[in-house]
Amino acid sequence: MDFAIKFVFDIVAFTSVMVLIVLGLGVIASMMGIFNFAHGELVLLGAYTVYLSDAYGLGTWPGVIAAPFVVGLIGLALERTVIRRFYKAPIIAMLGTYAVGLIIREIVRGLLGGHYKSIPEPISGAFAIGGLEFSWWRSFIIVTTLLVIAGSWLLLARSLIGLRVRGALENPMLARACGISTGRLYALTFAFGAALAGLAGALIVPLYQLSADIGIRFLVQAFLSVMLGGVGTFGGPVLGASAVGGMAAGLPWVVLPVLADPLVFIIALVVVRMRPQGFIGAGRL
Amino acid sequence: MNVATRTTNMKTSSARRTRLLRVLPAIELVMLALLVATPLVLSGRPELITLMTNIVILSLLAVSFDLCWGFSGIMSFGQALFFGVAGYVVALVGRDLEFSQLWATLPLAMLVGGLLSSGMAAFLLLGKKTPTAIFVALGTLTGSYAAERLVAGWQYVGAGNGLSAIKLMTLGSYEFVEGVEFYSVALSSLVIVYLASRVLVRSQMGLVLAGIRQNEERLAFFGYRVQVYKALVFSFAGSIAGLSGALYSYHQGFTGPSNMGPGLSTTAVIYSLFGGSGTLIGPVIGTIAIELLSYVLADTDAIRQFWPVILGIVLLVVVMFQPTGLLGLVVSARERIGSYGIRKGPR
Amino acid sequence: MRDTNLGRRGFLGGASALTAAGWVGTIAGGLVLRPTWAHAAGPIKMGIATDITGAIAPSGNANWQVAQFVVEEINKAGGILGQPIELYLEDTASDPKVAVGNVRKLIQDRKVDVVLGGITSAMRQAIKDPIVNRGRTLYIYPQLYEGQECTKYLFNTGPSPAQQCDRLIPYLIKTLGKKKFAMPSANYVWPQLLNKYARKVIEANGGEVVFEEYYPLDQAEYSATIRKITAGKVDCVFNTVIPPGLQPFVKQLYESGFQKNGGVLSCVYYDENLLNYHPAQEMEGLVSCLDYFQAVDDPFSKTLQEGYAKKFPGTKYLFTAGSAATGMYRGVKFYEAAVKATGGKLGREEVAAAMDKAVLPNGPGGGAEMVPGRYHAKMNMYIAVCKNDGGKTRYEVIDKTSMVDPREC
Repeated sequence: MDFAIKFVFDIVAFTSVMVLIVLGLGVIASMMGIFNFAHGELVLLGAYTVYLSDAYGLGTWPGVIAAPFVVGLIGLALERTVIRRFYKAPIIAMLGTYAVGLIIREIVRGLLGGHYKSIPEPISGAFAIGGLEFSWWRSFIIVTTLLVIAGSWLLLARSLIGLRVRGALENPMLARACGISTGRLYALTFAFGAALAGLAGALIVPLYQLSADIGIRFLVQAFLSVMLGGVGTFGGPVLGASAVGGMAAGLPWVVLPVLADPLVFIIALVVVRMRPQGFIGAGRL
Repeated sequence: MNVATRTTNMKTSSARRTRLLRVLPAIELVMLALLVATPLVLSGRPELITLMTNIVILSLLAVSFDLCWGFSGIMSFGQALFFGVAGYVVALVGRDLEFSQLWATLPLAMLVGGLLSSGMAAFLLLGKKTPTAIFVALGTLTGSYAAERLVAGWQYVGAGNGLSAIKLMTLGSYEFVEGVEFYSVALSSLVIVYLASRVLVRSQMGLVLAGIRQNEERLAFFGYRVQVYKALVFSFAGSIAGLSGALYSYHQGFTGPSNMGPGLSTTAVIYSLFGGSGTLIGPVIGTIAIELLSYVLADTDAIRQFWPVILGIVLLVVVMFQPTGLLGLVVSARERIGSYGIRKGPR
Repeated sequence: MRDTNLGRRGFLGGASALTAAGWVGTIAGGLVLRPTWAHAAGPIKMGIATDITGAIAPSGNANWQVAQFVVEEINKAGGILGQPIELYLEDTASDPKVAVGNVRKLIQDRKVDVVLGGITSAMRQAIKDPIVNRGRTLYIYPQLYEGQECTKYLFNTGPSPAQQCDRLIPYLIKTLGKKKFAMPSANYVWPQLLNKYARKVIEANGGEVVFEEYYPLDQAEYSATIRKITAGKVDCVFNTVIPPGLQPFVKQLYESGFQKNGGVLSCVYYDENLLNYHPAQEMEGLVSCLDYFQAVDDPFSKTLQEGYAKKFPGTKYLFTAGSAATGMYRGVKFYEAAVKATGGKLGREEVAAAMDKAVLPNGPGGGAEMVPGRYHAKMNMYIAVCKNDGGKTRYEVIDKTSMVDPREC
């Protein structure tokens, strides 16, 4: 019983991280139809914000709170200048966002001096329930992810802007005809996706060290999660991320860890090939 | 009126109106001359000959990418997969079978690259459901990434260490170390592959590819099995990437998991786009330009930090403003479309 | 063709200033350090190929700084038989693929007389061919490793598994009473061969290996491993996971309450440099076995540390044993001794023959002697435990064995 609880906790903890990262990517892919290759670097920027706040003696909390806003603004700036040119050609978008990601990654690498940095957890240590130890910070991540999912869903389903977004998702032309500024919505969506990525980065960096490469670590898994879950809905990416995250955390239990790693990708790819629209197929791809 | 005559008519009519400036053949000849002259010019600097050999080998990889993207519209983020796997195969053959005769191992590398890419093409492209372009791109990326991680964990092939002390490439009893001889082998391979690709893309099949580039759906309605054509080109490109990978392994004496990963794959993309994709010579020029620049800037410590950033900016600028790359500045759009095959019908 | 033009490089007195400024810490383009006096007899060119950037940078920078320190001392004393040593650095960037290209520069461009460097065994395997075979140059490998490197012209100045495990494991089993071992490992050659050796010693001393597992170098999730440790009632974790996967593993191990329940973490490459990369509480109680700790009570070592601190004040890269820094010291000094023995001749054959018999009377942790024909050196070995003094970690040396035989080749 103990075993099962810890098992579930570990899988849920890792999956929450995946969900946060994938949600931003999925939102952008659903709305604008482009796969943002720079998403990993937005995660990196979130992590870097926390590092900066810690390095300048402010502690880690200000960084964690500021990260979504900082990265959201950066995302907005990127969208206005670069990304918006790519909406018509998704493949070119991949290349362009890859270039943007490369630039961001190498700038951060230069700033870090090529080193790996450890960031302390804002809430360190573990608490015990019935003899089992649970990490504080991981629990915080799970709770935050649930709040973010709930909040995003509420925003989408119950607010005016959510209504506009859903309209633009279903039928951009008609939405424009109704006077909804899709351009502005796209900018907001990209910023939102970036903010989610920034938050994800800020939350995961105490667990995995900060280096210029933490972004690309998750990128391919994130792409597969989005395709697996289905583009065009809110629930799709969440489901996809859960599947991929669950596999990534769970497979090492049943196969050799070094085999589990590529196996996740292969399984996901095969499933997507057989069911291209993903689990929840509603959308544009 | 079939497509060939129409092209002929277009050509003769435009030839009557204005001289069609054929820049590409001139550029190709100049490049050939430069590359042949290189070992003579650099005879006193072995490290530069090593550099040029690497450049020639990598330009093979860039050409292989161009065949996919520039000529068939397949954004392959995983060309390095075939490069890396072939590199490993020749290293293993050298290690376990103590065999490295180039007349056998280089064709073996091409075979490995070709088989692997056909397998991948079959999975990604063929089948009942036509895949979206994004799926193919992501599929190639995933393949490359998963292979890198798989190899990094597999002890038989050296895992994260890679394979080092690779047996030198041999011809008879002669061993090829870095130097002018290896450069000649690499350059000959490039010339042969280039000619073969040139024939392919200017043939009737190349015409079909041109049609796919322009409007895939329309061509499918004509009855052409578009995905099969793409798969064929992808396999051919894969075998070229394999050849490139084998030469690289022999030359460097070392191969590691990163040789098949997305990092190298995207580098090939950058080479190709920068030089000008869709023209076979563009990727070669792109590789030379970027690698030479990288080597020169490596000496200046301050810029060395920035080099990957510069590369990223270059790619972004190319993608946003000059999608036709360097060659796009001199080659007209008409020439890029190209002329095809043996003309049938009235001249 | 020797390039005598210093124009683009110039002298750099203190690399610590460079490494302090984050930007310039990545000395990726290669670096030259020349003594301030030129000499008609021509300098000795020494190439250092180490990880200035990347996951292994903490160790790489430490051994680069130590190399500069030792060479400066030698040059101050007049060089080797009047010839100064010129140092050439190439960054291997913790990436064997990049390393091969950069090391080739050392051999072909710079034409160095000897190369010292490589930290992980993966790196050593990658660069030894360009150096020893294609480059026909002498190569000194300064780091602790898994043994079995018996290549001609390749000298190892770091501890071998026998030197590290033969005393450490009996200490863990008999003195600390830990019998059930877990071996979480990075997936490459060093952990694999080290574990094979350690397993023999563990079983010979009555211990038991509960599991031995290998992970990708950047593995970040270790929940499955931790569960196995708890379920198997493991009381000693013999860790060979390396950065970047190391920090998440140690953190997750600590959070599972392993040390609280009496478990001992043991890792044979842990030195003072690595302690800085973890929070203090995660490091408490860690047991390591190396050829030197800063807590060792030896006057020569203390003088060395003072000299090093003077050259690199306030540096975070400490002169320690797990970071190949002590091996680098020995390597440079062995080379000096060998060249003195050949009378100044720098040919690979002669220097190798002389180095084979070289003896160092002093060094960090004590002197060292090359075992003739075996490419490895005898040295003192110490066992130490990490103590946590209110948030600051330090090692306490609890055992010393003199001139341990490497038992290699």
